[in-house]
Amino acid sequence: MNPDANLAIILPEIVVAVFGTIVMLYDCFVPNSRKTTAAVSIFGLLLAAIALFWLWLFAGQSVPVSAWNGMIVTDSLRLSFSISFLIITAVTILVSAVWVEREDVPAGEYYSLLLFATVGMLLMASGNDLVIIFLGLETLSLSTYVMAGLRKTDLRSNEAAMKYFILGSFASAFLLYGMALVYGATGSTNISEIAIKVANANFPALLLIGGAMMLVGFGFKIACVPFHIWTPDVYEGAPTPITGFMAAGPKAAAFASFMRVFVLGFPLINGVQVSAFLHDSWITALSIMAILTMTFGNVAAIVQNNVKRMLAYSSIAHAGYAMVGFVAAGMAKTADKREEIIAAVAFYMLAYAITNLGAFAIVTLIAEKNDRRTEFDDYNGIGFRSPLLSFSLSIFMLSLLGLPLTAGFISKVLVFQPAFEAGSPLLVFLVVVAVVNTAISAYYYLRLIVVMFFRERVTEWENPKIPYSLATVLVFAVLGVFYLGIFSDGVIRLFKSSPSAFQLRVSEPSVQPSIDMTKAER
Amino acid sequence: MITTLLFFLFAGFAIACAGLMVYHKNPLYSAISLIGVFIALACIYMLLAAPFIAAVQVLVYAGAIMVLVIFVIMLLNLEEDKPLTRLRHLYLIGSILGLVLLAQTLFIFYAVKKSPQSAQEQADAGLTLNIGRAMFTEYLLPVEIAGVLLLMAIVGAMVLSRRLKETRLDIAQKEKRR
Repeated sequence: MNPDANLAIILPEIVVAVFGTIVMLYDCFVPNSRKTTAAVSIFGLLLAAIALFWLWLFAGQSVPVSAWNGMIVTDSLRLSFSISFLIITAVTILVSAVWVEREDVPAGEYYSLLLFATVGMLLMASGNDLVIIFLGLETLSLSTYVMAGLRKTDLRSNEAAMKYFILGSFASAFLLYGMALVYGATGSTNISEIAIKVANANFPALLLIGGAMMLVGFGFKIACVPFHIWTPDVYEGAPTPITGFMAAGPKAAAFASFMRVFVLGFPLINGVQVSAFLHDSWITALSIMAILTMTFGNVAAIVQNNVKRMLAYSSIAHAGYAMVGFVAAGMAKTADKREEIIAAVAFYMLAYAITNLGAFAIVTLIAEKNDRRTEFDDYNGIGFRSPLLSFSLSIFMLSLLGLPLTAGFISKVLVFQPAFEAGSPLLVFLVVVAVVNTAISAYYYLRLIVVMFFRERVTEWENPKIPYSLATVLVFAVLGVFYLGIFSDGVIRLFKSSPSAFQLRVSEPSVQPSIDMTKAER
Repeated sequence: MITTLLFFLFAGFAIACAGLMVYHKNPLYSAISLIGVFIALACIYMLLAAPFIAAVQVLVYAGAIMVLVIFVIMLLNLEEDKPLTRLRHLYLIGSILGLVLLAQTLFIFYAVKKSPQSAQEQADAGLTLNIGRAMFTEYLLPVEIAGVLLLMAIVGAMVLSRRLKETRLDIAQKEKRR
């Protein structure tokens, strides 16, 4: 059988992987060139972004909708998430430039791990096949495990890496087993094909068990309750720039493939009992998980005294908000509506990522060597002594809270509105819970602002020098928060717009070749 | 006829090894019995005309994984297993789980018997030739991605296991002086 190779369709992935190798080799031949390696990595990401925009807007018919036997697709879900991943990695590199210098981290290996993690994320968004999604997820997870444990002399970092590795492998095993069972039930690993074959699956029970196991695996990666136990410890122990990356990148990537598998792979087919039952079950399960996630994340964040832990619980809560959109996308009646809600979730993850990375950049700077200062008390009274840091951190907190004019507000509106308008009582209830939770979250986000501006400082405070790379991140994040908050229309329209190739050929139903080992011979 | 005979021979060997593995007091002997189980299973795969799976079973399970397990047991220098009274209650859980597993196996047996597809249709699925061909045609991209994954894993392992410029002790002393 033909591999159906098409290099253009995976150009962004190839560029990032090649630059990951280049960075590694460059560092090997020219040691102690931390700044250059960072610059080369960012240049690679820029090229990948150009390739991505080319696929999105200009490629037209020269690139097919799907290639590699339907394993890779170009649709709006892939492209909108992919651009977020590239932004997240680029910002993470800028944030970690300070930290790499301070902690004497092997720069070449670190940046190449980060780039390989990005390849994994990109593949998770572009893979339309369970095999590709799993490989992408493993590439991402393995490099994140290593990065979480990069501070080898710190016990907390060791603990974080160990915990993340063991629990993460456990979750991956669940995911893989679930995929195997779904393959057993439908006879295919291709998601478009699974969506068709759900109607007459060989063993409906296998399909249900497989779906449930995949729910566990993906649930772990997006850190939703009850699969969130690892999150606070790992986020606290991992180096701060990596924590920011983990809260933004892997979570968004897991959302991308989670949505692709469940929303597009297990759809509601009218008049088919198996598909209705499967659809009902995952919608119900996800709704309950969303309610638990939002409530638990916010309530637990209130009692935290460590800023990184607080942000960890806040990231759990945000996964819950995004899941409201996920459920709404699953219940959408038309394909257009579904595309719109998926774009809203992608926008939500981008807005959250930018805000969160900005916040973690400041936490990195204030934490100093070995993450010494990460308690709330360490932020006492720095408000007017370091106005630049504290004002931008306040903006990020307000955006996470969802104040109007910021990215956090508009992204919440975009996710909650379609859910509210869908008219199903379940979704209305979900939105009500989400709004109540937003009110609860005001307590701990505002608490940090209060601590910074209205508390007396007992210990001495030396205004930290802001390096250029970090200043760039702060400017970018603050502008991003306001840009996404005020001019969100352009971005959301872009996210909704299908790539040009897709528009031209969307009318003709594409029949993907079946993936069957026995056919390989013929 | 000869196949049935061989099947009972290997199956009996596997069950005997599994029993030995559970009941032996010395963990090293348990590990070696487990290798016996794996090899017996590989022979059964051979009988089922799946030579590739049989080879992988020997290479990966009986080879790589068990060598690791035996290394760990020998490095830890475990003494002979004493009866652990505090793990008593696990016997009950263990037997329940065993029964569940047995029920599951019987169910699969029943479901396969009932299912309309005949096994004959896919008899050539496990052949090495077909798997190799599929790997380099249909599944070319996943194989390439697995290559990237392994490269990344090598880099990660190097980063984590490389010797630091200053040892843990030096750092601890420096912290103390501060």
